[in-house]
Amino acid sequence: MSDGRTPIPGPSPSKGEGNFEALRARAGLQRWTFYFAIGLWLAVFAGLKLLVRPPMPASVLTIYMVLTTLAILIFVAANEARFRHFLAPLKAVFEGRVPRTLQVLVLTAMPALLAWGTYLRTAPSFDAPFEPRVVHPEPPASFPFHGKRIAVAGLQNPLRTGGPELEKRIAEGKTIYYQNCFFCHGDALGGDGHFARAFTPIPANFRDVGTISMLQESFVFWRVATGGPGLPKGATPWNSAMPMWQNFLSEEEIWKAILYIYAGSGSTPRTWDEEVKNDKQ
Amino acid sequence: MTSNDLRWLAALLLLAWGPVQGAVPAGVRMEPVKAVPVAADLKQGKALYERYCNQCHGNEGKGDGPAADFVYPRPRDFTLALYKVRTTLSGQIPTDHDLFKVISAGLPGTSMPAWKKYISESDRWQLVHYVKTFDSLGIFKDEPAKEQVAVSEAPKVTPELIAKGKEVYRAKKCWQCHGQYGRGDGTSAEGLKDDWRFPIRPVNFTKGWRYRAGDRVEDIFRTFTTGFNGTPMPSFVDAIPSAEDRWALAAFVKSLTRPPKNGQVLKARRIAGEIPGDPYARAWEEAEYLDFPLAGQIILDPRWFKPAHDVITARAIYNDRELAILLEWDDGTYNKGEGGKPADQVALQLPAAKITGDEKPYFVLGDRRHGVDYWRWNAGQGLARFTAAGHDRVTPREAGNVTAQGGYKDGQYRVILRRPLTPSGDNEAAFEPGRFVPVAFHLWDGHQGEEGLKMAISSWYYLLLEPETPLTVYLWPMGLGFVALGGEFWLLRRLRRRRNEEVKP
Repeated sequence: MSDGRTPIPGPSPSKGEGNFEALRARAGLQRWTFYFAIGLWLAVFAGLKLLVRPPMPASVLTIYMVLTTLAILIFVAANEARFRHFLAPLKAVFEGRVPRTLQVLVLTAMPALLAWGTYLRTAPSFDAPFEPRVVHPEPPASFPFHGKRIAVAGLQNPLRTGGPELEKRIAEGKTIYYQNCFFCHGDALGGDGHFARAFTPIPANFRDVGTISMLQESFVFWRVATGGPGLPKGATPWNSAMPMWQNFLSEEEIWKAILYIYAGSGSTPRTWDEEVKNDKQ
Repeated sequence: MTSNDLRWLAALLLLAWGPVQGAVPAGVRMEPVKAVPVAADLKQGKALYERYCNQCHGNEGKGDGPAADFVYPRPRDFTLALYKVRTTLSGQIPTDHDLFKVISAGLPGTSMPAWKKYISESDRWQLVHYVKTFDSLGIFKDEPAKEQVAVSEAPKVTPELIAKGKEVYRAKKCWQCHGQYGRGDGTSAEGLKDDWRFPIRPVNFTKGWRYRAGDRVEDIFRTFTTGFNGTPMPSFVDAIPSAEDRWALAAFVKSLTRPPKNGQVLKARRIAGEIPGDPYARAWEEAEYLDFPLAGQIILDPRWFKPAHDVITARAIYNDRELAILLEWDDGTYNKGEGGKPADQVALQLPAAKITGDEKPYFVLGDRRHGVDYWRWNAGQGLARFTAAGHDRVTPREAGNVTAQGGYKDGQYRVILRRPLTPSGDNEAAFEPGRFVPVAFHLWDGHQGEEGLKMAISSWYYLLLEPETPLTVYLWPMGLGFVALGGEFWLLRRLRRRRNEEVKP
């Protein structure tokens, strides 16, 4: 393999490459640049594909892999010696300085890989159509509730007062929660009740900082009272399995249940005071 | 029988059991119980219990919390110290580690979740200590378990071992309760009661995800050895003394399980010729299946919290004329709607019109703006067809071009529903290859009194008639591959020529 190869000059130690490069070149590692580059590319691909959970969309993966490819190419091309080492194995194959079988293997593998990649693109996909979903859609100005209209703006939990009364109401809310909500939202309010896997989208996890703790109680009341059918157009109302709880619970019971889901999950509702504070900052 | 009577009975049984206890059946190896790593702090245990457990198990541990009536099986009553999932011999109380394991990993097939995700290890030990205080007979205090059943490593599962287990299953009459194919449909399955006089059903062996004590071969073997206290499931150490036979039986039972295969899209493959009407035909066996999880209908009044079914399996096939869907589900009891019980039923829900965009009808029986086409098959009366625009606007219609064939065999229903691809009129979705059609399923078990809105439901999924692959799908990759190959040869020749030129002068 080495016969006929043009001698490759070592790295120039003067130009900002530092001692490490020099050491590496001396150890002969640079000869393996091509394989390092391929290995690194594969490692990044495998990492993104296998370790990231939930799996990222294919388009995002493509962007990352394009960036990885560019980064590797730039790194390789930044140093002339390294670039030559990088090209050396390819050149050796094309110039016939490798065993015949290897040459044939590489020369057929490259078009085959390209063809396979193309097939993956053109092959029909039978994945379910992508359905964009707004997780916390904008609530309406007001909504119907037990024959009257309730305005969302300024709506506050009338039962959230201090003292021993609150503890009692939370306990009552707990009973309401476990007779109505826990089947889906879970025993530990983790969105993993015994019915949860039958529904898409999956029930909200109240322990997640992205759910009730970033919402005001008025929003939660609206979602509980009107359920899936009350969601505005554009939020795929036909998918949410959330019942219209005003059909089963009184206004007071809904507020009590809301007290419990905050207390039970150890979260606090977002309040207007906070909003005002944040605005001032 | 009140729970007080029961307590006396249990005490009497315990007295009678006393002399027998300690006599370890032949072929069972015992090992000492491991030490408990956390000392009891009952005050803390009580606080934890009242935060995480009392909603089901009740403040006094009687299994009568506010949620108790809304779940099946019912939450455990701790006062009798009767526990199913243990590592101790039949009739004995569990070890502390047994209780710890159940709290940590939950009980499959019940509403008892795996608390290890939410409660720290030392807090879970406090719950073990506190739960033991509910024992009204004082057994945990006076005679704590000292030994547990040692389960050795499972033998290698071979077809011979499974065949041997099948023979044990037959000879020891496991089928009397669990059914010939393990679907929980045995001749004695009906009317079984637990020690609290609550109805109890033998487990369906095909549903590994419902095995209370776990579905590894070791878990199944341990259950044969320990039995489930308080239920009709006995220990089999006396009936099947040979551990080898019990391993074989465990391997056989394990071979009956099938992990669920879930997905969003039910794909119908195109076949040439007629679609067989026999659900056991080869074309159906070869068709790809999907399992769709079901939940109780708890959205519309009357709500149904304890559905009998948790899954329905579907397959689909089409030819140049029609589409057929095979629905498959296990039911331990066959109900045609006689003897005061409603009939078993299944329903397939499709949108009543072509879907534009991603807007679908409401997932339970549609809504005012988007109706659904509803095909319901009843074990007694066969097919009925409806158009629904909400649960309160269900209108019967002629079955028209829809036909159904169904039957019950070996604890399992198989129903084939079919319709021509082209819609015959209004209120019907078209079936076109490549087009996604929303589909949902409803299921009723008449034996459990399920009818009307008392049913198990699924969300919307998609049905897709797999289009035949166009030729271009293969032409593009091949063309590009050849272009690349050509480029390589061009490069090869160029390099060779250059080298020759370099050599010549």
